[in-house]
Order: sequence, then structure tokens, then C-alpha cells
Amino acid sequence: MAYKAKLKEFDDLLQQDIIDLETLKTLSFRGIPDDQSKRPLCWKLLLNYLPPEQNEWKKCLSEKRELYKHFIKEMIVIPGSKESSGDVTMGDHPLNINPDSEWQTFFKDNEVLLQIDKDVRRLCPDISFFQQPTEFPCKDIVNGEDGKRLHSRVQRSVLKCANVERKGLGITKIALLSKKANEDYAPMTEGKEAHWEVVERILFLYAKLNPGQGYVQGMNEIVGPIYHAFASDADISFREHAEADCFFCFTNLMSEIRDFFIKSLDESDRGINEMMNRLLNQLKVCDLDVWLKFQQLDLKPQYYSFRWITLLLSQEFPLPDVLRIWDSLFSDKKRFNFLIYVCCAMIVILRNQLLDGDFPSNLKLLQNFPSMDVQIILSKAVELSQSRCFKMNTH
Amino acid sequence: MAKKTYDLLFKLLLIGDSGVGKTCILFRFSDDAFTTTFISTIGIDFKIKTIELRGKKIKLQIWDTAGQERFHTITTSYYRGAMGIMLVYDITDMKSFENIVKWLRNIDEHANEDVEKMILGNKCDKADKRTVSKEQGETIAREHSIRFMETSAKANVNIERAFNELAEAILLKTAGKEPGDPVDRVTVDRRPTNTSKSCCN
Repeated sequence: MAYKAKLKEFDDLLQQDIIDLETLKTLSFRGIPDDQSKRPLCWKLLLNYLPPEQNEWKKCLSEKRELYKHFIKEMIVIPGSKESSGDVTMGDHPLNINPDSEWQTFFKDNEVLLQIDKDVRRLCPDISFFQQPTEFPCKDIVNGEDGKRLHSRVQRSVLKCANVERKGLGITKIALLSKKANEDYAPMTEGKEAHWEVVERILFLYAKLNPGQGYVQGMNEIVGPIYHAFASDADISFREHAEADCFFCFTNLMSEIRDFFIKSLDESDRGINEMMNRLLNQLKVCDLDVWLKFQQLDLKPQYYSFRWITLLLSQEFPLPDVLRIWDSLFSDKKRFNFLIYVCCAMIVILRNQLLDGDFPSNLKLLQNFPSMDVQIILSKAVELSQSRCFKMNTH
Repeated sequence: MAKKTYDLLFKLLLIGDSGVGKTCILFRFSDDAFTTTFISTIGIDFKIKTIELRGKKIKLQIWDTAGQERFHTITTSYYRGAMGIMLVYDITDMKSFENIVKWLRNIDEHANEDVEKMILGNKCDKADKRTVSKEQGETIAREHSIRFMETSAKANVNIERAFNELAEAILLKTAGKEPGDPVDRVTVDRRPTNTSKSCCN
């Protein structure tokens, strides 16, 4: 059976003492099997988190996981416990304008946190995974004071008040408003933590460690699929460390695509505008008719492909399809070249509808990509990437 | 050639801080439904709805934008073509209200001078969490001579009315002011409606 043969190919490869990354890329490009923890392991290799030498994995993993614990302690636990004991005020005060003031840092962090908090609560809402408790909550945090739980720092606390309504001759009606039922993304009780809270912590630490970049909306959509893959690893010894492993893989991935997220780099040669231009040029090569139609309608690539490229297509498809697409993107030898071909394939596949459509119907179609077998898109993308040279020569 | 199914085309834009409910407002208006399960808007989104006003079929092309600063270079490029802009804040989020001034400045810099504007204080169903009073909203709207309404995409308060009023203002402007029908641009939610009263006080 083809699937079994595929699994065996991966098994053989991953048992080598020194894993041949070129072979791994070739195999993964065609899709990593969903079973037996293959994907989380391959992604760790493809994202340069694990070295190809098997005998170094243990050391590498324990070092990184230790380091991550240290980050949590230094940047979340200690400031958090200070806050709840009122210690931040020692020799310091909220209006301190000294840039080294801990209060200043605290306020600045909370601003970042507020944005992250808004976004992680709306991560992958069509699946329940992120609202469920993790088997492995961070013990230093869930068993401590509230200040360590990040979302509690930015909860909007409102003073309780009564609504007083005056009617006619001084008869007053006082209505105490009761709180509404918990929302779906409500934080868990003491000792428990939902997956979205874990993702919140990953993003917060990333923002703290990359202050020049901070947190930009959409990063949640990049970390989401990686975390999902790692936290559903069949191997418990890996699943237990999904948070730390995900943090480093996310950091590595971001180092390659961070330019998409930085406004001041929009015009640079690795920025988002350049990527959108490349897509448009590719479209011109692959399908001149559609390109002309887009020109005529003034349908610019930023209307549809800004999100496609920035988020590596993670908002366009259901999660299992995203995982499959990312197998190929991460195995791309000229990383993120293939992304352009996938985007281009998505357009070319819809060509008949697009050539018939007007501006609004075309834009609607592109922004809400119809569901289809993702393999069709990927095969088309491969076809386009191979026919490019041929077409260029004949034109 | 396909037959034109509308008489006029108006381009509208929704702006405001992230998380104030822009996408929910638009979804309520275009699909008459509410869901809390919205992913954050990245870049720009797009919806169409045709309405009828004064016997004219008007196609509204509505652009929904991402709130975060990073996306401003992308989103401000849409200001120019917009005929109407809805500026949304969240009545439970003071910061989003304070930023209204910033958003107004953005409009001044990037939009057409005669663009029709409207300020919406959204989430007025969450009375127990309110931090921005209705008067504060009215005041800032009056200061800038802009229409104002409190809305709730969740409870379906004033959503349709907001879009209709904005469209009407554009219609009057494009048609040239009709005699005997003075347009008072300083109208600040003067007609109290039952829906808004029961929910937004």
C-alpha cells in the first residue's frame, strides 16, 4: 500500500544516525504522514531546531527546554510575583519616567499583552482544540498568584456599580448587573491551563525577546499550526515539551519570514511588497489572460495575497490542509519560493470563474477560497514551478 | 454585457482599533448573524450588500480593515476611494475611544475631503462593562461634526440604521442637495429609538 510504503520511507530515513536533510526535504515535500509523530519530528528538523545528528538530540532538547524554563521564570514568573505582592513599587512608582523603571516595563509589556490576548482568544475558532486544557500546564504559573497568568494582567477590571434609574417622583430603581456566563475562551481554574493560554505565553516571550519587532497580528496564526502539531504528538515525551519546542521552532520560522511583519521593511527585497510583486510577475508568466483581467479590473495583489503570504496560507484552508501545505513549504529548498507557486496555482485553478467575474465577485472568490482537495493545488503548483523555464524560453 | 443590477455604487470603509468589532458589525449587516468566532482580520476584507434607498438600488462595497498599526500602510491606501467611513470604537475599551482622534487624523491625511464619516460606539449590549459613556461619544462626534450612534452587532442594535444613514448621506451629496430636504450634518443621534434606549443606557 502506498501509504505504508511512504511511512516506511520515513521510518528508514529517520533511523539513520545522521539524517540526510536533502532526502528528508524530498520526502516531506510530498507530504509527511499524519501518523506516528512523523510530522512534529520532521518539522523540528526542517526548521533547524534539531540537528541532523541523532546522538545530539537529547542534549540539544534538554538545553533548549531548560533555557525556555529560564525565560519563563525571568520574564513572567518573577515580575508576576512582584506584582501580586506589591513589590514593583519598592523605590519605584507607576509615574516613574526613568526608562529602567520596572513599572514602565510592566506597562509597556501589558500593552503588547493586550493585543496578544485579543488575538489568541480568536485563534482557530472552528476547532475546539485551543479552548481545551493542556495535559501539561506550566506548573510555575498555574499554581501561583494571578499575576503570573498573563491574561489576568490585562483583564479589564471594572469597578462594580449599580445602575440607578430615576422614575417620576423620586422612585429609584437600583439594578445590580450580574456577570454574564463564561465565554468559550475563558481561562481555566487553578491548576489548569487552556492551550490558548500556552500560545499566549509563547507569543509574549517572543515579543519580549524581539523588542524591535514585538508582536504583530497574524503571528498567532503562524504559531497556531506548529503548536497544534507538537501538542498532539503521539509520543508523550515530546508532547510534554510542546510549548518549549514550539517556541524555538516558531522563532526559527519567524527569522525567515519576519520581514513580512515589519512595516518599515515593506519595500525591502524580502518584504511583503516584493513577495506580492513576485506573485504578480509569476501570474503574468503562468496565465497572461488572468493577469490582464486583473489589470483591467484594477484588482491589486494586496487585496487578496497580503494575507495569503504573510500567514503562509494558514487562514485560507482548514487546519489539516494547512499542515499538509506547510510540509511542502518547510521542505522548499529555496524556502518560500514555493509559496509563490502555491498562491499562483490557487489563482490559475480558478481561472474560468475569474475571467468571467467582475471586481467584487472575483475578490470575494479569492478572499474566500473555495474548498477543494489541497492536493490539486499543490500538484498545480509543482507543475507551474517546473514549466516556468520552459515557458520563459519559448516566449 | 451583463445588466447592471444596481443604480449606484458606494464604497465604504470600516476602521478602528483591533478587537472593537468591525468584522462583526459588517457580518451582522451583510449576513444578519452574529458570531464570536472571528479570526483577526489581516490586511483587508471585503463584503457587498445592495440596499434600497429612495427608490434607488444602491450597491455597497464595504472594506473591512485590520486595526493594528502594522497594517496602516496597506489600509490607508483604501481611504482615497472611500465615499463613506465608519469609525468604530468599543464602549468597554477606553483606549479604543481615545484613539478615535488618531483615526480622525488618519482620515484627514488620506481620505477625500468630502468623505462622509460616522462614529460608532460598538458593544452597547455590554452595559455592565461600559467604560465610555454615551455622552462622551456624542461630545466627540459633535466636536467634529460627525454622525454618531451606539451599536451592538451582537444584539443587532442600530447596525442597519447606521449603514442606511451613511448611505443616505452619500446619496444626498452625490445627488446634490435636494431642496426642502436640508441635511443637518451635525445630527448626533437625535431620534431616540426604542432599541437603543432599552439596550444602551
